[in-house]
Amino acid sequence: MLGFLIGEAVRDLRRAGRVAVSAVVLITLSLAALGGFWLLSLNLERAVARWRERVRVIVYLKREPAPSEAKALVERVREVPGVAGVLYISKTDALVSLKQLLGKDASVVAQLPANPLPASLEVTPAAAAATPEGARALLERLSALPEADEVAGSVDWVERLSQWQRLLTTIGLGIGVVLAVAALLTVTTATTLILHARRQETEIMRLVGASEMTIRLPLLLQGMLQGLTGAVIALAALVATHSVVAPRLEPLVNITLDLPQLAFLSPINVLALVLAGALLGGLGGWLARAKA
Amino acid sequence: MPAMIEVVRVWKVYSVGPVKVPALSDVCLRITKGEFVVLTGPSGAGKTTLLRLLYRDDLPTEGDIQVLGYDLGRLRQGEVAALRRSIGVVFQDAKLLPVRTVYENVAFVLRVLGTPRREITQRVFDALRVVGLSSRAQAYPAQLSQGEAQRASLARAIVRKPPLLLADEPTGNLDQAMEAEILDVLRDIWAGGTTVVLATHRADLARMLRRRTITLGSGRVVKDEG
Repeated sequence: MLGFLIGEAVRDLRRAGRVAVSAVVLITLSLAALGGFWLLSLNLERAVARWRERVRVIVYLKREPAPSEAKALVERVREVPGVAGVLYISKTDALVSLKQLLGKDASVVAQLPANPLPASLEVTPAAAAATPEGARALLERLSALPEADEVAGSVDWVERLSQWQRLLTTIGLGIGVVLAVAALLTVTTATTLILHARRQETEIMRLVGASEMTIRLPLLLQGMLQGLTGAVIALAALVATHSVVAPRLEPLVNITLDLPQLAFLSPINVLALVLAGALLGGLGGWLARAKA
Repeated sequence: MPAMIEVVRVWKVYSVGPVKVPALSDVCLRITKGEFVVLTGPSGAGKTTLLRLLYRDDLPTEGDIQVLGYDLGRLRQGEVAALRRSIGVVFQDAKLLPVRTVYENVAFVLRVLGTPRREITQRVFDALRVVGLSSRAQAYPAQLSQGEAQRASLARAIVRKPPLLLADEPTGNLDQAMEAEILDVLRDIWAGGTTVVLATHRADLARMLRRRTITLGSGRVVKDEG
């Protein structure tokens, strides 16, 4: 029976001809737009997550504490709300880091009359403090420490990146939804044409006592077939575009966003896109089927 | 004999604007299993209306109808489908699907009802044999004569082996030779145990068949003889 219903759905699609092709094209475009923006958003989200993990607030100290004082200070700062971790960097440690940073030019440091670098605390903010508001509050709390000379660090730009990512998601969803509505209307039109073309079959089916499900299921199935076809084409286009574009963009995003690779959609994302296509097509068929 | 069809004081009134037009007025009749009944009367007498009520394409304005044990006034959607699975219907227009062959047209009925594929071929060819159309199984409706198209329509109606066959002017578009062929097929189907109700406006056809004849006139049963 299922074979018969699917066969009828395919026959109906052939009947709908160009309108069905238009519906498939629109579903493809809407899902490709949605998937494309999803890909961008996904990779930006990865960059934001990486950068959030790397956010540090540096508290430069007025003077270098004695080792016992430094230990006590670290313990005290660890108790400050919004602090996940604290690392004490002595003046010597700071100078070693500078030398490592300078590499072959490290000999410049030797010409300095004294170590000019201050001792500092490298503070890792807790997740709650990794927002602009949270970071500002943390900075205020750390600035209030009597030992603090200057506090540096901000999550503003990470947040701006995050805002871009949200904006891209919204734009993608907006374009996807507009195209999806157009696709839905086209599937409904295609199904209405099919309904007209198969009115004789419908009449015979009713006359011989076919169940309403048997009469209406092919309409739903042909809509779903249009949706699935559109989804598969959209995914194929996304895979092809990703495989061509990603290797060329990766050096750039590695430098700018510190992302070594541009990831593709996860299997669950892919499944969601395919289901969205089937749902879109099925819904179009379902809306038109009310006239059956 | 048990009643296959029982029509009790049935009225069917159509409203045309403010005007009420009675198509059937106080019709009573009883048809038992195994009968061959000719329903005759002039055009507009109510034959088609009565047949439509019998396969529950429409409901009476008043009165009760029982067909094959179903009380047609109280059927739910699923029961209407069940009733129709037990009734074969043919019309003046063969109503064949133009893009399917004769075989596919007949098989279509079995396929929509979920008949196993292995049974379909056998049953379709059995039905085509009864109507004498086995050799035309692969022909499309456009390639058939009107008589052949009507025989294909009959094959489609009987392929489910329904206990009741309703035929509404099945010879209306046919010449005399083709008409005789169709009547022969109907007689064969009846001889196989199917109850047949044949509606025709041709009184001479009713006389020729020499079966029970119910004559309608202006929506009323005016004669029931034979």
